[in-house]
Amino acid sequence: MRRWLSAAWALLQKDLQLELRSRYVVNVLLVFVLSALLVVALAAGGDALDARIQAGLLWIVILFAAALGLGRSFVAEEERGTVLLLRLNATGTTVYAGKLVLSFVSVLVVNSVLLGAFLVLFSVEVARPGLLMVTIALGTLGLAGATTLLAAIIARTARRGPLLPMLLFPLLCPLLLSAVSATHLSLSGVPLGTWRAAADSLLAMAGFTGVVISASVLLFDYVWHD
Amino acid sequence: MSLTGACYRSIRLALVAWMTLVLLAAFSFGGLLLNVPRIPILEHTARNLYFHVPMWFTMMALTAMAAWQSFRCLKTGDLECDMRARAAVHVAILFGVLGLLTGSYWAHYTWYEGTDIWWNFDPKQTMAAVQVLIYGAYFALRNSLDEPEKRARISAVYNVFAFVTVPFLLYVLPRQMESLHPGAEGNPAFSEITHPVMRLVFYPAIAGFIGVAWLLYRQRVRTYRLEAAADRRGSEALIGHMH
Repeated sequence: MRRWLSAAWALLQKDLQLELRSRYVVNVLLVFVLSALLVVALAAGGDALDARIQAGLLWIVILFAAALGLGRSFVAEEERGTVLLLRLNATGTTVYAGKLVLSFVSVLVVNSVLLGAFLVLFSVEVARPGLLMVTIALGTLGLAGATTLLAAIIARTARRGPLLPMLLFPLLCPLLLSAVSATHLSLSGVPLGTWRAAADSLLAMAGFTGVVISASVLLFDYVWHD
Repeated sequence: MSLTGACYRSIRLALVAWMTLVLLAAFSFGGLLLNVPRIPILEHTARNLYFHVPMWFTMMALTAMAAWQSFRCLKTGDLECDMRARAAVHVAILFGVLGLLTGSYWAHYTWYEGTDIWWNFDPKQTMAAVQVLIYGAYFALRNSLDEPEKRARISAVYNVFAFVTVPFLLYVLPRQMESLHPGAEGNPAFSEITHPVMRLVFYPAIAGFIGVAWLLYRQRVRTYRLEAAADRRGSEALIGHMH
């Protein structure tokens, strides 16, 4: 267990260092989410949007950003030619854990900036900030969990371009729906117990995240090794 | 599963007879033997129960079969299992599309009677459409993998992964949202609203449609086997030619 943790930590450190040097993924995603938000704001034309629509738009931008940025994690290893060495030196689960945490952290950073810009641009009033943060964090974890395995899958295919969004979007529908309804509740609030009203959605998100990550851990070796 | 031709043909004949009886029973009018209870608006469209609902049972059976074959493929690396998973997904998509069509057509004349609506975003309906898309993506993924062993393994991983998320689509979320389907929030479950007479046709219809799906699935598997054999012979001939 100790060795497994230190191996996963070493892999995460390597990726974090590479990311901090180039800031490629975070920069691309930041520019993307901000421009997407501006487009949405322009399209709304200054009209006040319903809280449900706001929640939906926020999660659509998050989903597209994830599909854009997270597909890189394994493709980059293939392009740098480091994938063989990694395969020799690390077990599948440590690689998965490292990439999962990396994806989670980078999407969380991007989402925090996105959330700030979203609240300011649309002058949103949040009824329950705590619930909003929990929803974003849980949703990000589920998103990272599902995307990591799919990113490993598309790194093994010949035509990578549009494949990740196509695999990812339908699979993430359950997570997205729960996330949107929880976000909606956190924005508008209900008179008697917003948290209790959101409990169903939060539980469904936690369940989805748990199932997706456990399945990924069990399946990852089959994608990783030849 | 190795069936002789004669055995296969007799099962097929039995299925044809069975489905003929089911169809006759489904459309038997005038209180001959199995009339449906007449409920305003529903009237005779209640007979859609014999078609729409078995489509989903059949699709679930096929996706479970596909996931099982994919799981076996991961364990053994056998390409035969990959063929079977592919055939099962193929037929599952067919039944999914039929389920969507029968549902949406029926709802146009009952739920949305007097309106122009063909498709309303009822959670169960939308989730079923998403499930069909998930399995459509399976074929797109297969097309972007060239090497047979790798294609078998990677697409099996995707298939198993997709299968574990399906319960959320079909059972968890639709029950948390408002829906017109039975068993959703506040609606009575299927067992409370279905007249016993209709069950006499409904259960045999489920068995019959699953049987039809099995026939189609066997057909696809045999086609894939022939294609694989033809490919092998083709490449052997090519190698022989080059020498």
